[in-house]
This record gives sequence, structure tokens and C-alpha cells, in this order.
Amino acid sequence: MAERLIGRNYTPPDLVAKVTGRARYAEDFRADGMLFTKLLLSPMPHARVRRIDASAALAMPGVKAVLTADDLPDLGGGERALTNEPVYAGEPILAVAAVDELTAAEAIERIEVDLEPLPFVTDPLDSLRPGGPNARLEGNAWGAPLPGGQGPGAPAPLVTLKWTPQDFAEADMGRLPMGKPLEEWAYGDLDGGFAGAALVLDETFVVQSTCHHPMETRSAMAYWQNGKLFIHASTQSVAQTRGNIARWVGMSPSDVMLICEYTGGGFGSKGGGAVSSVIPAFLSRKANAPVMMRITREEESYIGRARTNMTGRARIGFAKDGRITALDLYIVQDCGAYGPLGDHRSAGLAASLIYQPPAMRWRAVNVITNTPPRSQQRSPGPMQANGIIEPVITKAARQLGVDQVQIRRMNSPEGKAAFGPAAGPGGQRAHVTSAFIKQALDRGAAQFDWEARKARAGQRQGSKIRGVGVAVGPHGAGSIGFDSIMTIRPDGRLYVQSGVGNLGTHSVIDLARVAADVLDMPWDKVEVIWGDTGKHLPWTCMSVGSQTTHAMTRANHAGAMDTRRKLQEIAARDLGGSPDDYDIGGERVYRRGAPGRGLSYAQAARRAIELGGKYDGHAVPEDINPMTKESAASLVGLGLMGIAKDNYPRDGVTYSFVVGFAEVEVDIETGKTTLIDYLGVGDVGTVINPRSLLAQIKGGSCLGIAHALFQKAVVDPRYGVTLGDRFHYSKPLSILDVPASMKADALDIADPETPVGARGVGEPPVGAGYGAVLNAIADAVGEDVFRRAPVTADIVLTSLENGRRMHDPLRAHV
Amino acid sequence: MGILTWGRNPWDQPILTHISWDLFWASLFAGVAFFVAHAGYMVFSTHRKRHASETDAMEAARADLPPRIVRHSGVARAFHWVMAAAMFTLLLTAFLPIAGVKFAWVTWHWTAGLVLTGSIVFHIVHATVWLDFWSIWVGPADLPELRAEVLRELGHEVPGPRPGKYPLGNRLYHLVIVLAALGVVASGLVMMVRVRTPFFTRNPYLFSDATWGGTYVLHGLAGVALVGLVIAHVYFAVRPEKWWITKSMIVGWITRRQYLEHHDPDRWAVNAGPEPRA
Amino acid sequence: MAVIRDPMPAFELFQPTSVEDAQALLRRYGAGAWVLAGGLDSFDWLKDRIKRPEAVVDLSGIPELRGVRARGDGLEIGAMTTLTEVVRHGVVRERYALLLDAAEAAASPQIRNQGTLGGNVSQDTRCWYYRAGWPCYRAGGNICYADTPESINREHAILGADRCVAVNPSDTAPALIALDAQMVIRAANGGERVVAAEDYFVGPGKDITRMTVLQPGDLLTAIRLPGAWAGARFYFEKVRDRQVWDFALVSVASAMVVGAGGAIERMRLAVNGVAARPLRLQAVEDLVRGRPANEATAAVAANLAIAGAQPLRFNAYKVPLMRNLVKRAIRGVEATTWAS
Ligand SMILES: Cc1cc2nc3c(=O)[nH]c(=O)nc-3n(C[C@H](O)[C@H](O)[C@H](O)COP(=O)(O)OP(=O)(O)OC[C@H]3O[C@@H](n4cnc5c(N)ncnc54)[C@H](O)[C@@H]3O)c2cc1C
Ligand code: HEM
Repeated sequence: MAERLIGRNYTPPDLVAKVTGRARYAEDFRADGMLFTKLLLSPMPHARVRRIDASAALAMPGVKAVLTADDLPDLGGGERALTNEPVYAGEPILAVAAVDELTAAEAIERIEVDLEPLPFVTDPLDSLRPGGPNARLEGNAWGAPLPGGQGPGAPAPLVTLKWTPQDFAEADMGRLPMGKPLEEWAYGDLDGGFAGAALVLDETFVVQSTCHHPMETRSAMAYWQNGKLFIHASTQSVAQTRGNIARWVGMSPSDVMLICEYTGGGFGSKGGGAVSSVIPAFLSRKANAPVMMRITREEESYIGRARTNMTGRARIGFAKDGRITALDLYIVQDCGAYGPLGDHRSAGLAASLIYQPPAMRWRAVNVITNTPPRSQQRSPGPMQANGIIEPVITKAARQLGVDQVQIRRMNSPEGKAAFGPAAGPGGQRAHVTSAFIKQALDRGAAQFDWEARKARAGQRQGSKIRGVGVAVGPHGAGSIGFDSIMTIRPDGRLYVQSGVGNLGTHSVIDLARVAADVLDMPWDKVEVIWGDTGKHLPWTCMSVGSQTTHAMTRANHAGAMDTRRKLQEIAARDLGGSPDDYDIGGERVYRRGAPGRGLSYAQAARRAIELGGKYDGHAVPEDINPMTKESAASLVGLGLMGIAKDNYPRDGVTYSFVVGFAEVEVDIETGKTTLIDYLGVGDVGTVINPRSLLAQIKGGSCLGIAHALFQKAVVDPRYGVTLGDRFHYSKPLSILDVPASMKADALDIADPETPVGARGVGEPPVGAGYGAVLNAIADAVGEDVFRRAPVTADIVLTSLENGRRMHDPLRAHV
Repeated sequence: MGILTWGRNPWDQPILTHISWDLFWASLFAGVAFFVAHAGYMVFSTHRKRHASETDAMEAARADLPPRIVRHSGVARAFHWVMAAAMFTLLLTAFLPIAGVKFAWVTWHWTAGLVLTGSIVFHIVHATVWLDFWSIWVGPADLPELRAEVLRELGHEVPGPRPGKYPLGNRLYHLVIVLAALGVVASGLVMMVRVRTPFFTRNPYLFSDATWGGTYVLHGLAGVALVGLVIAHVYFAVRPEKWWITKSMIVGWITRRQYLEHHDPDRWAVNAGPEPRA
Repeated sequence: MAVIRDPMPAFELFQPTSVEDAQALLRRYGAGAWVLAGGLDSFDWLKDRIKRPEAVVDLSGIPELRGVRARGDGLEIGAMTTLTEVVRHGVVRERYALLLDAAEAAASPQIRNQGTLGGNVSQDTRCWYYRAGWPCYRAGGNICYADTPESINREHAILGADRCVAVNPSDTAPALIALDAQMVIRAANGGERVVAAEDYFVGPGKDITRMTVLQPGDLLTAIRLPGAWAGARFYFEKVRDRQVWDFALVSVASAMVVGAGGAIERMRLAVNGVAARPLRLQAVEDLVRGRPANEATAAVAANLAIAGAQPLRFNAYKVPLMRNLVKRAIRGVEATTWAS
């Protein structure tokens, strides 16, 4: 019997190409007669294009076509690749295709664009002030999602919301104004909870926006062949980007050939691809030649998406022992110029989950500003919730004399813990599939040597003070209901079709390990096919929201079980008995008790082709997605086809958790924080790929650590233009900013609600890293030194110097 | 040669930033060219001089006048020289860096600017209250004098009116310089908001880009105009035949003879009075 | 005329092999020429299409500009020596560790492999308003976008601001000032002049569009380190957000000779990141002479150092930061004894 693959490290098949540079990313492709395009970006944060004169540009030799928003279909008012009403500085207005980039750039410099400036706003609170400017002509905020709207990006109406001067009365004191909210929910007895509390704290915190800046920018190349669009783009999800591109171009998905074998990261910025990727597609049609669009780092900082920043205010009641009695959370979310995004809702739910308040109210406004567009960024919402709430918990623990680990442990969810409002059809609250946070905290505290480190925290040597912090990062970690296709072919090998994007997480390959295990297939006989919709891929979840490992291990478990069943049926048909009399192993299906009576997989594959029908893909299940059906049709007759939708039951919503432990050293003469040590412990279900999993925990924590220490986006309020438009200005983490021996571990406790036991991991470490480091800094220098992130040297030093918090209390994007 | 320097603001809209510094060179050149031309003309022309006998006669007729006639009070002279110092400081601090002599000029510049502003304010008040405010202004009434002066310059013997306290040329010059000075002062005071001074919070965004552009251009135009004007002024001040005027700005008085020779006693009436202090 | 950043516009590229040839080219093209060293600053300007030279004169093929050699009792470092070469040089390590520490703190390993010492001291400011191509004073305009009531100016100047509030970004500059380095400049006409490091840099009062005394046509050919400060007690510290690939918020460099009795015999001290030019703190140097290198001296000296500082909206922290770094340069930093 082949050794079980799940839980073992392996070398993924794409690794050598990646480390040798042979892997080809979107901008590495070339085609005969290929043109290049450059973009003309709006210099203004909000304007109307009155007139474009491109005649001088078009008259230049080598200039082939100019594309404007007028050439693009309307997308129901949603964001388009080009616009006539730019709503943020840096938004593309037009694109020029020319024989090379130099010519295209020179052509752009000869284009006259007459822009009429419109009112703009970069800070969400400014927009809510009485008489404040609206970011869009139609309004300044997204209302509650329309009925039937679900999920983080649910459609919502654009509304205008202004608060009263009284609402802003305490703004100067650094307290978030809490005017009329646009969304809210509540459960439990909030007033009672506060009334019975031994301690009530009320704090405001500013969580910054950060540009995603994946290593690969959103470059794309496209050409047309016989009515089909061939597009090389960078996406987190091959299967689900095809449909988006079809919609953005206005064509049928089956005519879109999307190629993306390698994605240089996305972090949520390329969830379903990038709307800008259709620019070369349109230009290619117009110029009748392939068109390459290489997006520069500067352009990426405008169009490349960013995290929603939030200014949150949390009022929390605590019993004497540290138990939370009530939580009142108000969030002002800055959604950027487009949206809507639902990070604020995810934040509310996450808060309710990880702190388990018996009574809670969540209120929010989702404001639009003329700043670069946001999208989900690795742990969208829960990370921000960690930022808003962790400082309050830390302060409470200190005031109540409760240990920081204990206060989080006692308030943490356990098992099928309930969370959120009573919004179910029967008025019931949602619950998670499982949670083992207490174990994770215990394991982490022991491994991190929490008690010993705690003992030295707050001590000063020279100008340095140490501090320790802990935080629980939660995130939704799995969807259900996707499809899988796999074939055992006459060569005796297992071919697994993977529609997952190859964005560096290995889940694109990991899912085949599950199928191989079910079929007892040695790994060297498994072929994974990915990265090209021309290669017939099944309907697959987007690789966002930490859902892939959960969703696609389930789907591939189902597909492998279907394959297995078909092997058994073929064997029974040929060799007698019932399918249940047959077992598999050693690449054979054989009669239980008589291993000699059976078929090799290769034989079974040939028989499947002979038998046809459901065995080789001629007949497919009814419930699978049309895309899967279409792919199956192209794979018909190649071998024994396993094809299934994930119909496994699930009781609860899948969430994963990572507990972060951090020790920092703050130099009080410089204000600078150094991260001394870090441990992340995952409660993420069964471990599929240990090396990759631990890398995810560390890598995700790194993002949170960078958020805590220095990463940010800066916008000049006067002109509404992004200032941090260079890679180094946005300050992503460097390898020297984390301890050389960062540690990670996982509980490896199976989730009971999924056949493989695995939940996702990508996102929960971000909030863990963010919260743990913020808490550690607070532990070192005092929990009132800062109420915004990143906590840079200037914030710490000026506060210590003045004996009180000195930073700008509410302003965003500084 | 450019006249204006344009830039593009962060929104890629055209904005005025300054005048073109070519204009400084132009004004400098114009000033120098004027004095070279005028000096040349004075050397070669048959410049008409009033016959000494005429003046002798007048002096005899007005023996009631004191031998020294007060032309500028001490206060007025102090004002003039303070203003001149401020003006030179302003010109040098403004244009030496443009001409390539680099030094930290801005604080000196606006400090001198404030001195100039102060002295101008003082001068206006002083002139209004204590002096014959209108004696320096130019009006339609001066047309005959203009004609006479021009003809005299061209070597003709004309009866026509002679100047009051201030010769017409002086008064015309004063007018132009008033305009230029008010231009630099008004714009300069506003421009102090653009730089750091101890008086208020620096706010370069106080006005729109267009207003600022206009302000800088006004400051520049008036400033370069002053270059030429000051050169001309200094030139006349040191010319031998005008030296008596310059001297009067130092000592405060002119002789009775100078008074009678150059002025129209009807337009600048001096009463017999005590001897002025030297 | 729309604005676009990237790609680099076309220009004539010259790769002379001698200083004379380079200067002939610089004379030929005058203001239209751009001197290219490692390119880490240059390419930013060129790729952004903000500076548009007609000709680029690449100095990398001129052997005499490269390398570290002995000169008298000191060293001469060719302007085109990379920061990595400076860091790896044995004599620098032994006798001028201050320069090593400073050069090693600059940017990132990749940038140090390419960036030169001459380029590092000659680089332009990183003020993000100026770098964005906005028409500020430094760019020939009539406004400072970084010092307005709304500006975001955490990185900007607290001292010596004159209309412009940009700061000098070089890490090696304060170290060279502390070492009393001499900058060897070859003028366009071939004449050579030697300028003390502290006089190499100019503030905006003096010349708002330049960071150094270099005039068009001038080449920095070498940097000389005198023997006088070799092996002194050095202190270099750079505070930045990230441990690598980040410019200094404030940096300090000092060389100190302490007498037998523990009193400071002489000291040179410079800070950067606080003004448009690296500042030598002569008053502090004078004050500490003859005093013990202890906390008391450091405290008095540090307060003197920050006299006259004028913070902007977001950079008040630079005042205590500079004060504390000056303190540390005088009295050192206490080591910690934590095991990990
Ligand atoms: C992301 C990033 C981070 C950085 N971080 C730091 C940092 O933390 N600390 C730091 O000190 N530096 C930093 N730098 C700057 C870098 O280290 C280089 O030293 C610097 O950009 C210039 O060196 P260069 O050799 O590349 O010169 P270039 O970029 O080629 O030249 C810089 C300027 O000097 C002129 N010049 C160069 N050599 C001569 C010469 N011999 N004679 C006359 N003129 C000359 C050029 O014309 C140009 O104007 C950073 C740069 C980048 C891009
Ligand atoms: C003879 C009179 C003056 C001349 C020739 C003169 C000339 C100049 C010039 C050429 C500049 C540079 C302008 C630019 O960059 O566009 C300047 C700047 C300035 N002047 Fe004057 N000026 C004069 C009087 C004044 C006065 C009276 C004041 C103030 C009361 C003043 C205040 C300023 C200030 C504050 C600046 C700096 C503005 C900046 O750099 O943004 N000036 N002046």
C-alpha cells in the first residue's frame, strides 16, 4: 500500500520552474506582431472627462490604436477597466497600443485630456461631516446589501449619509463619532451586559490601508484567434476568472481561453482576476494584433487594490475575572472609490466569534472615498477586528490583573461555538464547524515559554524594554459545493484537473494528494493539470477567503470516491460479485480476500473507455456545474473518469484560527520596535502539506507583523493623490524584520465536518501577527501609547516623550 | 526670451510659477542702456542752460528768501534712505541668487521687505499729514510743463512753466515707482505666507494655484521693473547737473539760487523764514 | 500633454573610459547631460520621465574612478567604488569602521552592489512630493508641498529648512563628515578642487535645486579619508522603519578620541535625516571637548544639538530622536543581557 500522502512534505511539481526562472508569468509571453500598451491615468482624484484629443498621438508612426471607456461595455455601473469619470487619482482613462512601450508612452504625452475636477474626499470621516464632500456623484456610502445579497461583495445601494455636528463633538478628543449607522445587528442583553460589568472600556483605533503589492503586477497579454480570446493574465483563480473576463468583455465564457499557470501572488487583489486585464483584449481587437500590457509598480499602487482601512470604536464590558459581558462595536470602513466590500461585516462576525461576547451590537458605515480601489486583502475584516479590539482586551487584562493568554482563552470559542446575530431562518445564530483555540493557546503558551517571557516583560535594560503579546486570528476557512474531474488513463496514471490558481500556496497541487490517497496511488503516478482553461478544468472555488484547501479537498475526495466506486463497479462487472466486494490498493482493484482477482488501474481505464457511459465521461452527474460539464465533454473517452460535486454535508460555518505569540523589544530612546520572537499555532484542521502550511502560518503572520510595524498607504489630502506610490514607500516586510527563527506549529485536529478534516489557513495568521505584535508593543511601553497602526518609531517616541498619546487620532492614510 | 514661467500642478493643470528671469536681464539691460544712451546724449547734445544773468536777476528780486531753502525734512530724508537701503537689500537678495550668486536670501529679503513696507506706510502717513501730498503727483495740469520740459530738453528756448517742488521727471518717476513698489509690497506681504516667518503658520495653500501664480508674477514684474527704475534713479542722482538734488536729500536744503533757478516759486511757495539747520 | 511615468525616454548613452572623455562629453552637452553612476537614484528620475537629459554619461567604464587605495596616512576611495566594495575593504574595516557601518546600513544588499559611494553622497532627496514630479521649489517652482497645514511630512526636516523641507537621504554622508573626508572634484575645465565633506552639501537657502556643490560639468572623482580619525572611537546609528531597504529617519555618525583620563580629546559628529544637508554639529563637538564621555556630557550636548529645531506636523519625533542619537554617540548604548 502506498504511504499516505496527506500530512507529508513533498516537492510540488512547479517548484523547479519557479526557482530556476523557467516559469512563465503573464508578461513573459510573446506573440507574432505583438503590440504594447501604456495607460493614461487620471491625475485627479475625481473628475469628468470633457474631451479627449488623441489625434496627435494617432498620427505618430508606430501608434496603432487608442482605447477609451467609450469602447468598453457598461458593467451595470461597476468598475470598468477605463473610465470617463475617474474616481481616484491613478485610475486609467485610456490606453494606447503601439509597436513598443516607448512609442506608446510618447503617444500618451501627446494626448490632450480635458478634465473637469469634481468634489473629492480622501478621509471617510470628512465625507460624513455635515456638508462634507461626496466621493461619487451618486453618494458617499454603500447602504446595507440588497435583499438576497450574500457574502462580502454583496451588491448594495449607493446612498448619501451625513452626520450631525453633535455626532462629531468628541472627534477632537480622538473618539470616533458614531452617527447614524447604515448597517447594524445585535444580540443578547447589551445594556445588562454593561451594567453587570466590573470594567467598561471604550477605545477608538485606526486600522490602516495597505496596498497589496504582490510580486507580480497585474500584467496581461491578449490576442484573438477565430473569435476566441486568448488571454494571459495573473489571477488567483483560473476557473472563476474566465467567467469574469467574459463578462467584462461581453462574450461567452466558452470562447475565453485563460492561461495562468503561475501567479506571482495576489493576497486577495486578484481573486477573480483583474478588470484591467481586458484592456489588451479590447486593444487587440481594435488593432488586430496581440497586445501586451505590462503594469508598472507605480500603476500597481493605484489599480492594484488595497485593504479597506477602518476606524473602529469598541466598548467592551468585562467581569472581574476577565470574561467579556458585552461588546459594542462601531466601524467606519473606507471602501475606496469602488466596492462595495464587506470587510466590516466580516470584522463584526469575527469579533463575535473569537471574543464570544454574550451580548453584542455591531454598527457600521461603509464609506466611499476617492482613494485607490480596495479589495479583500488577506484576512479582510477579521484582521481589522483584531486591530480594533485587541488593544482593549490587553488594557482590560492589565487593569483586571488577568494574564493575557488567560483572558483570551476564557473568552475564546470552543467546539461548535455560536457567533453573530440571530439571523438564521428560525432565528438561530450561526455556529462554526469546530474550534480548538484553547488547545492552541495552551500548546502555544508552552512552546513559547510564555510564563518566562512574561516575567521579563516590562523590564528595562538600558533603553530597551521587552513586551509579550498574544492574539487569536480567525478567518472563514472553507466553502463547499465545488466539482472535481480526474481520470485514470490506460497508462495507469491518475490525471487530476485542478482549476485552482497557482498563487504560491500549493493548494493547486495539494488537492490531488487527497485523491491519490483515496485511490492509493503513488505520487509519481499522479499528474496535476492546471493553469489553462483550455485544459478542461472543473468548477472550482476562488482562491480567496482561505477556502481552497477545504473546498477542493472535499471536491477531490468526492471525485476520488466516484473514481473508486467506478473501479469497483467495473471490476464487479468483469469479475463477478458486487462492487462492495472489491477493494483497491497497489494500483489495482481487487476482490476482497482474493487479491489475485482484480484489474490493474490501467486495465480498468481501458475497460472504462470500452464501457463508455458514466465510466469514461460520456454521462456525467446532473448536479455539476456547466463549466465542469463542458470540461468533461472534452475529456471524454480518455480513461476512467471520476467526476463529482462536493455534496458532503456540513453542520456549521468553517472557520480557522491561528494563535500568534510575539515578543518585542522597544527602544525607548528611538521608539523603534524589534520583533524578537514569534510563534504561530494553527487550529486549521488536518494538516495536508506541513511545509506549506507552516510557511502559510509564518508568511501570513509576516503580513500582520508588517501591518503592526510599518506597512501603510499614504494619500495627500490636498490633491487626493497617493504618495506611497513606490514599492519601498509602502514598506512591505523585509526578511530582516522578522526573527531568523520564526516558529509555527499546527494542532492537526481534524475538523469533524469535512471528510478530509482540513480547513484553510491563508488568512487567520494575519490577524494573529497583527494583534500579537500590537499587544506586545502595548505590553512594553504601555497600552495607551498608540491607537493606530502601524506603530512606527515616531508614534512611540512622541507619546513617551510627552507622557501621553500624541498621534493624529482619527485621520486616515497618513 | 520668455515672459512667464509655467509649470503643471499635481493635477496636471497649467499653473504660473514666476515670470521668466529673462525679464530680469532685460530690465537690467534696459536700465543700463538708458543711462548709457542718456549720458551719451547729454554729452553731445546742445543742452540748454538758463543764462546765469536770468537767475541773477531772479535772485536779486527775491532777496527776502533765506539763502538756504529747506527741501526735505529730516524725517523725510530718513525715510528716503531707509527705503533706499531696504530697496537695495531687496534687489540684491532677490536677484543675486538669480544671477548665480548663491546665499540664503529669503529671510533677509522679507525682512527688508517689511522695512520697506513700514517705511512706505510711514511715508504715506507723513506725506498726507505733514507734506503737500499733491506736490508729487502728476495730473492734467502738468501738461504745459511737460511740453516745456520736452522742448527744453531738445534745446529750445521756451518760456513755459518751470517745475514746482518736484520737477515733472521726478514726479513721473515717483508715480511709476509707487506702482511698482506697491506691487512688490502687496504681493510680497502675501507671499510671506508661502515661506516660514515667525508671524503666522506657513500656509502655501491659502489661495488657489491661479491666485498664487498671479501673485508671483506681479511680484516678479514689479520687482524687475524696479531694477530698471532704480538704475535710472541712481544714474540721475549722480549726474553732475542733478547733484544738487541728491545733495539736498542728504543735507535737507538747497540754495536760494538753486531754488529760483529750477523751481516755479508760484508752484512751490517758500516763505521767508529762519535759516535751516545744516 | 498627459503625464506618464515609465518607460525611460530615449537619450544618447555614452560610456567613456577616462575622466577627460567624460568631461568632454559633459562640456559638449552642458545642462543636457546627466552623470550616471550606479543608477539607483538616476534611473528613478529617468524612468519617471521627470528628468529628460539629452545625453547620459555613464562613469562605470572609467577605471581610475574605481577602487580603494592608500594615500598618505589615509585612504582614497574612487567615487565609482560600490558600497559593497567599501564595506568589504579590509582597511576600511580596520581603520574606518564608521564608514563601513554607514555604507552597510544603506538600502539593501542588491542596491549596495550597484550603488556607488560617489553616487550615494551625490544623490537627490527622497521627498515624495518632489519625487512625484510636483513643481516645488526644488523643481524650479514656487511652493513647498511638504510644509503646508495638510502635508504628510514624517520624513522631513526639523533644521535648516529654507522654503524646502526635504532631507538628505545619504547614510554615508554623515560618516564621511565625521571622518573629515575630503571630496575631490574635477571641474568641467579640468581643474581640480578639494572640498571638505561638510562643505560638499548645500542647503536650500543656498541653492534650492541642488544637494551638493557640484555644478554642471563637475565630477566627483574620489573621496579621501585622512589618517587623523582612523581607528577613533566610532558610533553610527540609523533609525529607520525597517531593518533593511529603508532610508534613515535620523542617523548619527561620530568619531571620538578619548584621552587617557577618560576625557574627550576631540570629536567630530554629524547627523542626517534632519535637514537638507547632513549637519556637522560643531557646537556639540566644541562643548564636549575635555569632558568625560558620560551621560551628563551627553545630555548637555544633546540638548545643544537640537537647539533651534522646528518640527512640522508629523515629524516632531525627530527632535527627541536626534537628541537621543547624539546622546548615544557620546555616551554609547547599554547592552542588554537577555538570552534571546
Ligand atoms: C529603494 C532604495 C533604497 C535606498 N536606500 C538607501 C538608504 O537607506 N541609504 C542610502 O544612503 N541610500 C539609499 N539608497 C540610495 C542608493 O544607495 C545609492 O547610493 C544612491 O541612489 C546613488 O548611488 P548610485 O551610484 O546609484 O548613483 P546614481 O543614481 O547614478 O547617481 C546619483 C546622483 O549623483 C550624481 N553622481 C553620481 N556619481 C557622480 C560623480 N562621480 N560625479 C558627479 N555626479 C555624480 C548623478 O548624476 C545623480 O544625480 C536607496 C536607493 C533605493 C533605490
Ligand atoms: C524691490 C523690491 C522687491 C523685489 C525686486 C523683489 C523680488 C523678488 C523676487 C525676484 C523673488 C523671487 C520670486 C519667485 O521665486 O518667483 C522674491 C521673492 C519673495 N519676496 Fe520679494 N521682492 C521685492 C520686495 C518684496 C517685499 C516688499 C516683500 C515682503 C514684504 C517681499 C517678499 C518676498 C517673499 C516672501 C519672497 C519669497 C517667496 C517664495 O520664495 O516663495 N519682496 N522677491
